[in-house]
Amino acid sequence: MNELMHAIAEHLSIVAVAMVFATIIGIALGVLSYWKRKLGSFIISLAEIIQTIPSLALLALLMIIFGLGDLTMGVALVLYALLPIIRNTYTSLTQLPPYIIDAARGMGMSRAQRLVKVEIPLSIPMIFGGIKVALVNSLSIAVMGVLIGSGGLGYIIYRGIQQRNMERILLGAIPVVVIALIFDWGMGKAEKRLQKHTR
Amino acid sequence: MHRKRTRITLVLTLALAAILFFTSCAKDDTITIGSKDFGENIVIAEMLSQLIEAHTPLKVNRKLNLGGTFVNFNAIKNGQIDIYPEYTGTGLTAHLKMDVVNDPEQSYSIVSEEFLKQWDIVWLEPFGFNNTYTLAVTPEVYEQYKVETYSDLIPYAGELVFGAEHEFFDRQDGFDGLVEVYGLQFKGEPMKLNASLKYQAIGRGDMDVTDAFATDGPIKQYNLKILEDDLGFFPPYHAAPIVRKEVLDKHPELKTVLNMLGGKLDDATMTDLNYLVDVEGESVENVATEFLKSMNLI
Amino acid sequence: MRLITFFSKNSEAMIASLGQHIALVLISVGLGMVIAIPLGILLTRHKKAAPTVLALAGTVQTIPGLVMLGFALIFMGIGTLPALAVLTIYSILPILRNTYTGITEVLPSYKDAAKGIGMTKSQVLFKVELPLALPTIVSGIRISAVYIVSWATLAGMIGAGGLGDWIWTGLATYNTDYILAGAIPSAILAFAFSALIGFLQKLITPRALRRNA
Repeated sequence: MNELMHAIAEHLSIVAVAMVFATIIGIALGVLSYWKRKLGSFIISLAEIIQTIPSLALLALLMIIFGLGDLTMGVALVLYALLPIIRNTYTSLTQLPPYIIDAARGMGMSRAQRLVKVEIPLSIPMIFGGIKVALVNSLSIAVMGVLIGSGGLGYIIYRGIQQRNMERILLGAIPVVVIALIFDWGMGKAEKRLQKHTR
Repeated sequence: MHRKRTRITLVLTLALAAILFFTSCAKDDTITIGSKDFGENIVIAEMLSQLIEAHTPLKVNRKLNLGGTFVNFNAIKNGQIDIYPEYTGTGLTAHLKMDVVNDPEQSYSIVSEEFLKQWDIVWLEPFGFNNTYTLAVTPEVYEQYKVETYSDLIPYAGELVFGAEHEFFDRQDGFDGLVEVYGLQFKGEPMKLNASLKYQAIGRGDMDVTDAFATDGPIKQYNLKILEDDLGFFPPYHAAPIVRKEVLDKHPELKTVLNMLGGKLDDATMTDLNYLVDVEGESVENVATEFLKSMNLI
Repeated sequence: MRLITFFSKNSEAMIASLGQHIALVLISVGLGMVIAIPLGILLTRHKKAAPTVLALAGTVQTIPGLVMLGFALIFMGIGTLPALAVLTIYSILPILRNTYTGITEVLPSYKDAAKGIGMTKSQVLFKVELPLALPTIVSGIRISAVYIVSWATLAGMIGAGGLGDWIWTGLATYNTDYILAGAIPSAILAFAFSALIGFLQKLITPRALRRNA
């Protein structure tokens, strides 16, 4: 039981740290894409390309650069989390009704003020939705951490595979799926609440 | 406005906590132990971990099941792990890339000397067992061809499928050397699998011959026949903990603790422990604890 | 460069693995289409069941690849067949979801017009709904194919062949050349499938639905 708790804690903390970085970087890049549209389409294409790379391949490539361990897994998770967050940030910002932007301009706000006081707050539901998708994906990808010396529930699952032990596989797998579903459901509800809030 | 602020603070605190979690792992009083990706190595590493935790104030960061031989060796050279259980034969041929030495004492002294000289890695006391590479065949093959030695396989090799873990094909004391020395030509392309899957494959009849480790549990389970290495191709593989010298210097008490297992595991004992882990599916932690208790080591 | 020598020395084996990988993708996505498209059509006729079925399929999608491979290993053993079973299961959701959405998003006015000129239900399906839903369905197939290229690399663990074998060997022996030999081609393959099917998608989008028309 101890082993399971420890594994869950490890798994969640790697995903959590990666998500924090991914959110900060993702929103920043999303804003950048919004301010400079040409650069933006390049950034989003790059993120799409990263998404297309098979995860085992990317993980193995990162291992060559960063070695074994949590750092490699963290970088991989951040990279895969970027597209949903950047894209949702960008889409939400670009879809803001022009009259709101005009109103903000009219009030004398600078571009930065407009961003912080109006545009981002109105985009929060969609950004949150992007974070949700990224988070649920990350929980699944992090299982592969065992292959490159990182921790988490993947360790238990892999031991189960090696020993042909169904119970052990399930012991590691069920928490991953359950936690993913809980986050998906919980954040989905929060997302809806946020949408109402920003009407 | 409030809800958003609280959410942001929540995320930031979570991040802070996670960052603290990670930085706390890199403290000075933590020893990182790695292991290869098969039961025996994992259970030994677990025993070493428990010994350290029981007899010193040090914390152990377990990186068990890290990967194959070369993964662990690279990790210890880079300081990513401090200790892992290695085998003299492997040290000699796979890492030092020297020729096979059949005398166990001699091979131990060579690896001790060279590892220290080249990489500042210390070989501690061997556990006692010799887990040599052997060739194992299915009971069906044995029935049909009545083979006893590796040489006996030569005339029939063309009808037999050989399979092994990936690294067997990458080592000097592995596939290439074996088939050259004996002149074996197996059927088709050999199967390359993850270490723990090879017994599943041979059990299902997907392959006929494999490189077994002498103390592997599944040998008993699948009734495999171990053949005799009549030309003495494989060196002895006596297992011992190898440690980074830097770590031993910083924590000299580790030497005594890690040597507590020295000479305590003979072939039969190791095979039994492996059987419990690999065949009966017992948890590595329990098997390790039970054994250490039975030897009054914890 | 050492890597180039490695590639040229092993080019035959690598091409063989590439072929195996492509085969794995084509077969599993093909089977996925055979299962998912009819099922998707069926769901549009029983809309009440749709959320449950889609949610169920979605849950299967959250099961990590390593876990599904573990199941396949235990129940079916090592080799290509267990891998194909897992890959086919994974290929279903994107195609199913997009078939369902594609058809339900067909504007009722189109269907009414069709009924108005006397088409039977199956004629409406084949002559109106499916053609209009086709771009969305193909998009689902594209998503599925890219996913499967990725998951097929994992399948190398249970001896399924393909480019994953090289990555697994590389990871097991800490050998950069092997990893690159598997990683680079598989990434390129993923792009190729995405681009190819994407191009196909543009081709078959009826002019009426094209955004730039």
